[in-house]
Amino acid sequence: MTPETGWLPHASRHLGAAKGWTVIFSAELLVQTVLSGLMVGVLYALMALGITFIYSIVKTINWAMGEFYMIGSYIQFVAVHYLLGARWWWLAAIISAAGTFLVGLILEPILIKPMYARPMQRRDDYATVVTIALLLLLRSLAVALGGPNQYRPESDLPVVWIGPLPQEGARVAAFVCALLALAVFWIVIKKTWVGLALRAAAQNRVAVQTSGVDVYRLDAIAFAIGVALAGLAGALLAPLFMVFPTNGAVTTVKGFEIIVIGGLGSIPGALVGGLLLGLAESLGAAFISSPYQNVYGFLLVIVVLIVRPDGLFGERGREA
Amino acid sequence: MSGPLLEAEGVTKRFGGLVANDAVTITVAPGEVRGLIGPNGAGKTTFVNMLTGFETLDAGSIRLGGAALTGLPANQIAARGLVRTFQVARVFSNMSVRENLLIPFLAAGSPGGVREGQAKAADLLATGTLEHLAEEPASVLSGGQRMLLQACAGFMIPAVRLYVLDEPFAGINPVVKDALIALIEHENKSNGRAFLIVSHEMAIVRRLCPRVTVMIQGRVAAEGTLDEVARRPEVVQAYLGSAAA
Repeated sequence: MTPETGWLPHASRHLGAAKGWTVIFSAELLVQTVLSGLMVGVLYALMALGITFIYSIVKTINWAMGEFYMIGSYIQFVAVHYLLGARWWWLAAIISAAGTFLVGLILEPILIKPMYARPMQRRDDYATVVTIALLLLLRSLAVALGGPNQYRPESDLPVVWIGPLPQEGARVAAFVCALLALAVFWIVIKKTWVGLALRAAAQNRVAVQTSGVDVYRLDAIAFAIGVALAGLAGALLAPLFMVFPTNGAVTTVKGFEIIVIGGLGSIPGALVGGLLLGLAESLGAAFISSPYQNVYGFLLVIVVLIVRPDGLFGERGREA
Repeated sequence: MSGPLLEAEGVTKRFGGLVANDAVTITVAPGEVRGLIGPNGAGKTTFVNMLTGFETLDAGSIRLGGAALTGLPANQIAARGLVRTFQVARVFSNMSVRENLLIPFLAAGSPGGVREGQAKAADLLATGTLEHLAEEPASVLSGGQRMLLQACAGFMIPAVRLYVLDEPFAGINPVVKDALIALIEHENKSNGRAFLIVSHEMAIVRRLCPRVTVMIQGRVAAEGTLDEVARRPEVVQAYLGSAAA
């Protein structure tokens, strides 16, 4: 690629100005857009992975997922702002993930487990009502404790240059940490005894009980892992997307968009769906119109629903 | 161990107006292989479900080796040595045959860990003639092989003392059937495990079970050797209808 095709900033500006476009299409802009799309996509994927993972084991959709994202972002803010300082942001992120994990581990047996005492047909209703109630409770709690204000944990990460392209330090850090978290998740699921038991429970709850495994304990662990992924996403994105009581709402919607794109219950679906959503949004915002950023994801959802109603990796009749 | 292994006393279950199990009392001695037979709808599977914690009891009690099991969750009952199979084999289809066997072993938290589990799994796969399929996902197995795998998985629980097999021989081919019979005889003779086998296959029941219990309409109707109970008029009537009586 030569500078004349628009690789250097001044060249692209020049080209755009010469043709009188308001939107500049250049290779540089494309690369930058794709990069930032992938970066944010991985964080969306964390959310979606959490939703899908909880569903595949506990067999319920946690509508309060965004509120665990919110909890993660608040812990991050408190840890960075009051306790550790900007330099220890990564430690704060680990604390945030661990904190949300604990909240999940405590809440699941109290709120979700009673659903299994009910007849099969009513379980979904029960779980839906309970998790939506939890959503409202946690949001109100955030308002009560921190007010309706927006907070932002300090970030002193320098801008990172990827080739000639500048990227916000916090964004790159979030991306790298999200990749690390995905790697840890993969190792836990594939290589540990708990992971083996969790995979078994996802396939057959009854058989796992017959094997002598306490499936309700696995439920709590799965729920905690799922919400910890959301909490981690909240912590990592806090310097970029701010900390406030309803900050989880948008990411929850995106999480569910990804689930529709990738297919409910599919882990690869959550990852690929997350990346696709990130790409669709950033490409749409850069090359079509940025105020409609959130619309492009929904367009993608509609296309997927038309072409593959069960999602890219979904299996027909999984619930049967 | 001098006393009975399993003591189920007055076990009762109602579904609405239907009494599925009416004060069922069954005792199984350590190392015994007991048959549980009866026409369809006699309540055999309901009884098995209550034994293994998949249904609650409306009345009665269940003890294993003298310790009460009543009200415990299914996984704890299994961990204490009362293990079962299902009529429709429940295996983990996306996992390899070997992984299927490791899960119950590791769940028990045996000190031997994965290495001992692998060795035990290898033994069982050899006895059960599933060796060549060890690394295959369970989804490729035939119905009979799944049943065999399910049975093997139960033996991987180190504490298993009483193994309840619910219709293990239904609809499986003769080769797999023989492998399953061999497995049961082996585990009974060399490891002293007791069995309660629910089956309609009288030839196999005669071969494996010195004593059988007959359930009819939710009650224990007879107990004894297969030939003894087969002569009882109420048993004949339940199986063949009143015209034959």
